[in-house]
Amino acid sequence: MKRFSQLLLVLALLATVLAACTSGAQSPTAGPITLTDGLGREVTLAAPAQRIVSMAPSNTEILFAVSAGDQLVGRDEFSNFPEAAAAVQSIGGSMGDYNFEQIVSLKPDLVLAAEINTPEQVKALEDLGLTVYYLENPADIQGMFANLEIVGQLTGHTAAVTALVDSLRQRVTGVEAKVANVDTRPKVFYELDGTDAAKPWTAGSGTFIDQLITMAGGENVAASLDGAWGQISQEALLVANPEIILLGDAAYGTTAEQVSARAGWEAIQAVQTGQIVPFNDDTVSRPGPRLVDALEELVRILHPDLK
Amino acid sequence: MELRHTARPYGFALLALAAAGLLSVLVGSVTLSISDLLEGLRSLGSGVESTAGTILFSLRLPRTILIAMVGAALAGSGTAYQGLFRNPLADPYLIGVASGAGLGAVAAMSIKWSYTTLGLLAVPLAAFASGLITVAIVYALARVGHALPASNLILSGVAVSSFATALTSFLMLRASGELRRALAWLLGGATMSGWQPVLALLPYWLVGLGILMTFGHALNVLQFGDDQAQQLGLPVNRVRRWIIVAASLTTAAAVSFAGIIGFVGLIIPHILRLLIGPDYRRLLPLSLIGGAALLLGADVLARVLLAPQELPVGIVTALAGAPFFLWVLRRSRQANYWS
Repeated sequence: MKRFSQLLLVLALLATVLAACTSGAQSPTAGPITLTDGLGREVTLAAPAQRIVSMAPSNTEILFAVSAGDQLVGRDEFSNFPEAAAAVQSIGGSMGDYNFEQIVSLKPDLVLAAEINTPEQVKALEDLGLTVYYLENPADIQGMFANLEIVGQLTGHTAAVTALVDSLRQRVTGVEAKVANVDTRPKVFYELDGTDAAKPWTAGSGTFIDQLITMAGGENVAASLDGAWGQISQEALLVANPEIILLGDAAYGTTAEQVSARAGWEAIQAVQTGQIVPFNDDTVSRPGPRLVDALEELVRILHPDLK
Repeated sequence: MELRHTARPYGFALLALAAAGLLSVLVGSVTLSISDLLEGLRSLGSGVESTAGTILFSLRLPRTILIAMVGAALAGSGTAYQGLFRNPLADPYLIGVASGAGLGAVAAMSIKWSYTTLGLLAVPLAAFASGLITVAIVYALARVGHALPASNLILSGVAVSSFATALTSFLMLRASGELRRALAWLLGGATMSGWQPVLALLPYWLVGLGILMTFGHALNVLQFGDDQAQQLGLPVNRVRRWIIVAASLTTAAAVSFAGIIGFVGLIIPHILRLLIGPDYRRLLPLSLIGGAALLLGADVLARVLLAPQELPVGIVTALAGAPFFLWVLRRSRQANYWS
């Protein structure tokens, strides 16, 4: 009995120590934050950033998702999600040229760059005396979670990020559990740009589009494409004969009717069965939290019977 | 009277350059008031950082100087080439320097460089080297023994340029992730900010344009045709070689840091020839001032037209430059000023 109480005491002590440790790690750190960015640069912030400029739409979405939207003082021209981003000052970027004067005058304490920015731009911002963190594109969904955690640390929202990542992870696990039992994997063609119907642009392996289609229980007919992005010939498309066509270019006005009317496309199964579905391309082309929305949406389209 | 007549064009050109330079420093997407400017100036003296100071001295001033230097380099080389090839369509890119530089730049962009000084300079270095190599290939292909016929240069220039451009397009489609960056570079504009590009460009600019400026008289003689010039005692092939080397150095360096800005090198010599006549001893120095002023003006437009967006300056030079040139051409009373 005595030994048992001793054991209890030790366990209780251990628990307190552990709790102290974890709570210490979770509370916003008062000291400086040092992280290595995607270019291998060491970036140090004296305190969580309060005036942030986002250089990419994915970064803007991540910042709002980790509850740091209020700390955003500038965003690039392409940042159109969430709606609140529209109210933030634009710093250009739609033609690859960012407005450095505007960035400097916003006096940011952190510029969050992404892979669409060039190392030269990072250097130029650094030379202007600004603190720049270059957020590398994640290779998979787990990498996207890691990026969320990095942004949480930089902005002092570690608790919010933990909750966010937990819920996103649960949703991904939910999808995986559902899809594990499917016995058919529909062949999917994802159209990025079908302006040239004889060889539309699509996404090959190494892209989130390909990964998510596979995760959602489908088969990307362009998976064997040489390179991440490319033009697939209509002949190859006819041979592959996809059962579902996803229109990533729906936002640019491409409709199912137009696709059905294209010469030669009537031989494709998806056209015959009318399985031509508009898809919000932003959710798959931006490496942010909406990738999980895209995954769930894909499951709904590919396996409508799964509940 | 004679002096006033020769000095007047320089006065006008310098005035235009000063106005364009002042506009370029004062106008930007961020409006700076007079007190901001004073604060910026004070911050320079005291060493205290201020937003206005950073915008003025780390962004606008180096950009203004870079753009002026690039404009001068393109217009000076263009003037020399039009004289050298006796061809009104000649521009600094005629024998392949730009398409070569474009190929080098896009190739360098498709590789992921480390974040080091060398890695950060990979694109301009590759553009510079590849521009010069392309000209060297064109030169070697055009040479017949010791002679260097102008038509051979133009034809091999066109062929090699098309080849390099096709390779560039192929690389752009392959590495489509860098498509926007490559396109912006190819359309021209200051791609790097700060003083580094200015300092890197300076030696080539000084040497190249310095050499070109000494060939005013030779270009005048060359207008009589190769044989006539040779008989008048001009070492035609040597002159041609020097002008090509100097213009290629200058243009390759300019293109490395500012991308392929079209039209400046083509229209400035024509505008000046319409205004002051065909004497290359005056055309060459005036083209430097005129080119700088024109490109500065175009750059100001590129910054304000869609602010806070910035347009590639190459689009503006062609969109604004072409109508301006046509206006000058229509106003000129000579029916055929070139011949």
